[in-house]
Amino acid sequence: MANEARTISKRDVAGWLAALMRRAEVIAPVAAHGGDVAFAAISSPEQVVFDFQNSLHPPKQFVLPQTDPLVVIRRNGNGIELEPVRDAHPRVIFNLRSCDARSLAFLYRMHASDLPDGAYLARAENVTLVSLACTVPCELGFCTCCDAGPFLKEGTDVQLTDLGEHLLAEPGTDKGLAMLSEAGDLFRPARPDEERRRLELEEAAKRAFGAETCHFASAMRRVSTGRVPEELWGTMSDWCLECGGCNFVCPTCYCFSVKDMKQDGSWVRCRTWDSCQYQAFTLEASGHNPRERRADRIKRRFFHKVSAQYYLRDGTVGCVGCGRCVRVCLGTTDMPAVVEAIRKGAWNG
Amino acid sequence: MDNLFLPRLARIALVRDETPDTKTFGLRFRDPVDQRDFRFLPGQFLELSVFGFGEAPFCFASSPTRPELVEVTVRRTGQLTDALHTLGPGDEVGLRGPCGNGFDLPSAQGKDLLFIGGGIGLPPLRGLIWNVLDERERFGRVTIMYGAKTPADLVYKDELQEWAARGDVELLVTVDRSNNGWTGNVGMVPTLFDKTELRPKTTLSYVCGPPVMIKFVVQDLLMRGFADDAIISTLERMMQCGVGKCNHCAIGHRYVCRDGPVFTFRQIKELVE
Amino acid sequence: MAPSENHPVSRGRLCARGWNAHEAPAWGDRLTRPLVRRGGRLEPTSWENALELARASLTTLIEAGKDVGVLGSARATNEENYLAVRLARGALRTGSVDSFLRATYQPLVDGIVAVANGRAPAGTLADVEASDFILVLEGDLANTHPQAAHAVIKAVKAGARLVTVGCARTQLARLAALHLPALPGERGFLVAGLVAAAVAEPEPAGSPERPLPGFEALRGSVAALPVSEQLRQVARWLAQATRAGILVGPDGGPPERLVREGTAIATLAAVTGHLGRPGSALLPLPARGNLRGACEMGVMPHLLPGTIPLTEATAGARLARVWGRAPASALGLTAAGMPGRVAGLVVHAEDVPAVAPTGQDVLEALGQTECLVVLDAFLTPTARAAHVVLPVASFAEGEGTITSLEGRVQRVRPAARPPGEARHGWRALSELSAALGLPFPYRSANDVLREIGEVVPAYAAVADGTRDEAWGTFTSPPSDDREPTLRPLAADRVVAALPAVLALEGVFDWGSDPLVSLSPTLCRDHVSRRKLYPQGLVQMSRRDADGLGVRHGWSVRLASAHGEVALPIVLCNELEPGVLLVPYAFRERVAGVLGGRSEVPVTAEKVQ
Repeated sequence: MANEARTISKRDVAGWLAALMRRAEVIAPVAAHGGDVAFAAISSPEQVVFDFQNSLHPPKQFVLPQTDPLVVIRRNGNGIELEPVRDAHPRVIFNLRSCDARSLAFLYRMHASDLPDGAYLARAENVTLVSLACTVPCELGFCTCCDAGPFLKEGTDVQLTDLGEHLLAEPGTDKGLAMLSEAGDLFRPARPDEERRRLELEEAAKRAFGAETCHFASAMRRVSTGRVPEELWGTMSDWCLECGGCNFVCPTCYCFSVKDMKQDGSWVRCRTWDSCQYQAFTLEASGHNPRERRADRIKRRFFHKVSAQYYLRDGTVGCVGCGRCVRVCLGTTDMPAVVEAIRKGAWNG
Repeated sequence: MDNLFLPRLARIALVRDETPDTKTFGLRFRDPVDQRDFRFLPGQFLELSVFGFGEAPFCFASSPTRPELVEVTVRRTGQLTDALHTLGPGDEVGLRGPCGNGFDLPSAQGKDLLFIGGGIGLPPLRGLIWNVLDERERFGRVTIMYGAKTPADLVYKDELQEWAARGDVELLVTVDRSNNGWTGNVGMVPTLFDKTELRPKTTLSYVCGPPVMIKFVVQDLLMRGFADDAIISTLERMMQCGVGKCNHCAIGHRYVCRDGPVFTFRQIKELVE
Repeated sequence: MAPSENHPVSRGRLCARGWNAHEAPAWGDRLTRPLVRRGGRLEPTSWENALELARASLTTLIEAGKDVGVLGSARATNEENYLAVRLARGALRTGSVDSFLRATYQPLVDGIVAVANGRAPAGTLADVEASDFILVLEGDLANTHPQAAHAVIKAVKAGARLVTVGCARTQLARLAALHLPALPGERGFLVAGLVAAAVAEPEPAGSPERPLPGFEALRGSVAALPVSEQLRQVARWLAQATRAGILVGPDGGPPERLVREGTAIATLAAVTGHLGRPGSALLPLPARGNLRGACEMGVMPHLLPGTIPLTEATAGARLARVWGRAPASALGLTAAGMPGRVAGLVVHAEDVPAVAPTGQDVLEALGQTECLVVLDAFLTPTARAAHVVLPVASFAEGEGTITSLEGRVQRVRPAARPPGEARHGWRALSELSAALGLPFPYRSANDVLREIGEVVPAYAAVADGTRDEAWGTFTSPPSDDREPTLRPLAADRVVAALPAVLALEGVFDWGSDPLVSLSPTLCRDHVSRRKLYPQGLVQMSRRDADGLGVRHGWSVRLASAHGEVALPIVLCNELEPGVLLVPYAFRERVAGVLGGRSEVPVTAEKVQ
């Protein structure tokens, strides 16, 4: 983190948010129907929640909507007319957790590498991340096993730490620095005791995780060398109900299909979230399906997330330890459970 | 940055019936700049938009040495291809590509080439074959083996005759089941191996067709002494984006739409499902 | 799609259909204008014209003494189904009101109630999840009822003992401590065997030591049933369990048999001490969404709203007061009986060939309807065959309530406005009734719900409860302190005169439901299967296939006393040998062989 940490009084945060809202769509955790905390575009600073365990739904939907229009296809007198959709609206995602900030960096890399996806990047490059470090571990998270929290050294534009009456703000990028500078007097340079407090909070948070809860290393070895018995995948797959929930709430999942939606006499070619756990994901027009069995699909998911081959390609394991798959699984096949089963060679249900 | 999903507009310039359920479409870009600048390699594929029905991947069936028309050969298998088959010259489609890796033609120079196609597997080879024939002097012997279920199922019937008539190409055709009037070979494609002289040490073989046919042909070639990196094939998978993002065509960490669709048999063996 | 973690049932977890439910309303072909048939084609018109045409045609038919009917739907809200009944019994003066799926569910409930004395399906999925013993009676719940399967899986993970009963070793069967094979149609017989085992144990509930009325007659009726050691073990497990969940899959068998099954199942719960025990659940599973609500709203030809007998005077008088008109209390035609029999038919939010037991073949009979009025959000095949089409809101824009399998009534709140000129279903049905002479006082779905509360005793507190509670409220069935009444059990056996039994798999084809068929993500498997097997298919165990000398994809000829058909086989290792299942989606292909029955003995031979 750049050594330019600043502090803002909590009394001034509403003013800061109001200023941000004048320049961008501000997305933040808010109290939603039913008592959940969910990320949404705010209409007033008072909506922003600071004291929350992470939302069930990750903020990835704001750079990668579940139905994402890509190209508008119209028929007119000349024939077909194509219009690429480009959303470069400035957005701030505020108070996202460290794991989610890391996930957005991961998603950026996926879409920028090899053939850059201009539609995705237009949105992503106009998003500024202001993450809120976790001083208390969430109930089911294991970000320490994925280098994705509770505090970040990189991967966010501004990292906030709750110091009680103040928030410490550490710029992580030039974009973050510029954002803090624009806020002017609302911030003052952080005092040494505040920076010490921030370090203490990080140490305390890490210690509070206790023993690691997801040992990726040995699972990675087995997954990458084909040393997971086929029967184990079969057994585990009996505990999966193929809902696709893990893919939809996972902040690093981004598989999609491309379909044309009819809309008022024209069509919109859309990217739609898809799940590698659905049988039809690899179903070919001929009817042949290389992953017909649920066991093969579950094996595929964990290869993509945990293998060395992907680790080398992506520079990181495909998991940020947010724990959402544990919360959302309609069966019992979440990341920690499966990783443990792979390590031990046995499944406990 | 470009929108990866934006097709270029093209018009159908030509439609040719190949078999009762297969047609070849010749396409020309609407924008002359696209027409002039478009480049592709045999073995690559394109994503064809049939407006109102969506998009689907098809291999280039024409050679880059003959760029006036981009050709695809399409069998009817569902809604989109049914709709495509109702279109004719003048109708508009969308074209996104080229996608994938293509055949590595430069490294084949000087070698003997053996093309083995089954049924609807001939189209990806056709582009490569014409490319080779258009630069014939760069390559050694050229042998083409092709088989289909019945004589009616043979694609490119006129071109088969053209190839047969050439002196610098050996063409062997067979059908699984013959009918009245068929005087050629009868039997599955591997039965053609004994009808020619194979030189495994100097030959690259290109195999395209239904998975079951590829399996038997490759087994046969290996037994006859072909090295596993001298056998080249194309893989098919369900695809959506065609540009390595959507993950539908991933096999292990390889993507058929980026690392393929052309693979050597050695590479195929190394793919982890 | 963003489910709430605070929802008491889902807890933020959905099945594949739930996660993609937003697609159909957005991607599907929506009806946005009323349509009337002119010169063989459907043409857009105004609501006024469409309602007038419907009124004129239906009235002409009624005056000519012809039959008319109304079909409600498990896809519709309680308000809509209630108004469908009001349209039928109030405006059209017919008792022919029904839904196709009713027969797969309500008879089971009736059978249970006959023993439980009014304490109808009881317990929740949360109870099931906290159970130490679970019995699943037929069905591949992982596919048909994923939320129920979730409760079972969680319970088993926590150490519960699971026993499954059925003709196939489903995914849940693989997690079970014991799977009891049962031929299609013999579920009731197996349960009767469990009852026999249970009453043979020392001190079963209901025995002389702990008397329940009817125990001796019951014991006598099952005395002759064969009881294996496995049945004894299961009965013991059930009796020893502190909390037991019994999940009953829907069934397409004859209603009388389903009633007997329900009775047997409730009896089993009673004699093992679980009927009415807090924490023990007995849950028949409705095949689709709001089927329980549809039934409780009276979408049935033989009962009034609230599942009250047609001739019950108080209920009749109450309806008369509330509607301003006495309800027609005739016993009407069932859903299956209506196509081809009624000259006028109003179909609400249902695609008839998708749910009719005769499948696509019903279109022919439907085509004979002189006046077919269809209300739907989507242009289904039924809508295409209609004379009048009224566009209504889908679940994404609708307002009203739905009743879950647990009896939890929840509000549906609009996430968008109905497209074009589509109206809310409750309003369209009210306007149709008004056109036919029965005016309506409702200005909102909530007004309808309040009226339902006046007429259906179990829903009396629902209007307030769903307003006040975030996640809805339970219906309150009449309290009844009577002990269960045990009855003699009659066990149905399938006469296995031939080597194999052919039956349909399931009672509902999700692939033909708009929620799935109009969703690009969900429809793929179903579209592919229909494309690959245009002639249908039959599932067969590997052992049977080996015995016949056939391989996967080869054809076999199935022959029964009623007919024969050739079908390609699909190997299904989960099937019991001797059981052949045809997916419900392909039921037309085996209609001749089944001869109107839900299962039939057949011979099978390889097609050369």
